[in-house]
Amino acid sequence: MVQFQVWLEAALRSFRQVAALMGQEWSWPIAESVHFVGLTLLFGSIVAWDLRLLGVARQVPIAAFHRLVPFAVMGFAINAASGTFFLMTHPDQYVYNPAFHLKVLCLILAGANVVLFYLTLFRRVKRLGPGAQGPALARLSGAISLALWTIVIVAGRMITFYRPTVCRPGEALGFLASCIVR
Amino acid sequence: MLDPWFLWIESSAFSTWVTESPSLFAFPGILAAHTIGLGLLAGLNAALDLRLLGVARDIPTHAFTRFLPVMWLGLWVNVLSGIVLLLAYPTKALTNPVFYLKLALIAVALVILRSILRRTATPVPAPGVVKVLAVASLVSWVGAITAGRLLAYTCTRLTVDLAC
Repeated sequence: MVQFQVWLEAALRSFRQVAALMGQEWSWPIAESVHFVGLTLLFGSIVAWDLRLLGVARQVPIAAFHRLVPFAVMGFAINAASGTFFLMTHPDQYVYNPAFHLKVLCLILAGANVVLFYLTLFRRVKRLGPGAQGPALARLSGAISLALWTIVIVAGRMITFYRPTVCRPGEALGFLASCIVR
Repeated sequence: MLDPWFLWIESSAFSTWVTESPSLFAFPGILAAHTIGLGLLAGLNAALDLRLLGVARDIPTHAFTRFLPVMWLGLWVNVLSGIVLLLAYPTKALTNPVFYLKLALIAVALVILRSILRRTATPVPAPGVVKVLAVASLVSWVGAITAGRLLAYTCTRLTVDLAC
């Protein structure tokens, strides 16, 4: 795992133009703002969709709410792009960061939840008319999605409190810090 | 002029706990709650704005009233967590003009939301003016979010005796 992290850090560090761009005076704050706007677009659309899956506003056919999903995808794309820029600029601050690890794990699980939903439940769910309650599994999928995206945001916010430091021999690891093996 | 007040707040037991406690429920947790509240309120408001602009037309606009409790939850989480963050670093926020810009933009966004809700609460088709309101709503939320994020970069004083 450490070997993979070292390789990934070097690979991300090789995008020097991105790092140079992000090093301009206002680039980082602007990219962060974009990341938060993307978060809002993604989370808002997902929450509306998941709540409908859970039975909120069930007088509305679920297919109507599905039109919001492309905006969740758009928010995700904005954040994948801005997030990649952060990673390429300070790879060590993410690759060795336990909060970032949790965030990526939840992103993978949320992605798997989406794929499973579309492969197994979507065909039945999209035909649900006004007032219809989705199958129990669809409600479970919605609840899992809500929980995972919430953890993604919380873990993302924790990244700054778990910034890794370079390990020094004999140094006790701090409560909030992990350290980078060189 | 306000420094004695800032100092009094900053040296209170509560502020010291928020800023210095190693607990994840102190500063980090409050910041995370503030972000979730933002996502719930501004996010669902953005979904409503998009609907008013013609996306997902099959959702009746008044159906969004079902999400209002979640949006108000987001608002209250952020009012409370915002007050805690303000008590934690009063000098940082109150000496920064961008903080007042952020508050003003949130106020504008909330007034617009109220106006939109009044015009869409009934099943009758909403008048064309709601599209203008929807665009203004999106612009003010993007502005409020950006101003909020920039607080970390535009502050000049962190506490009474520390520069940012």
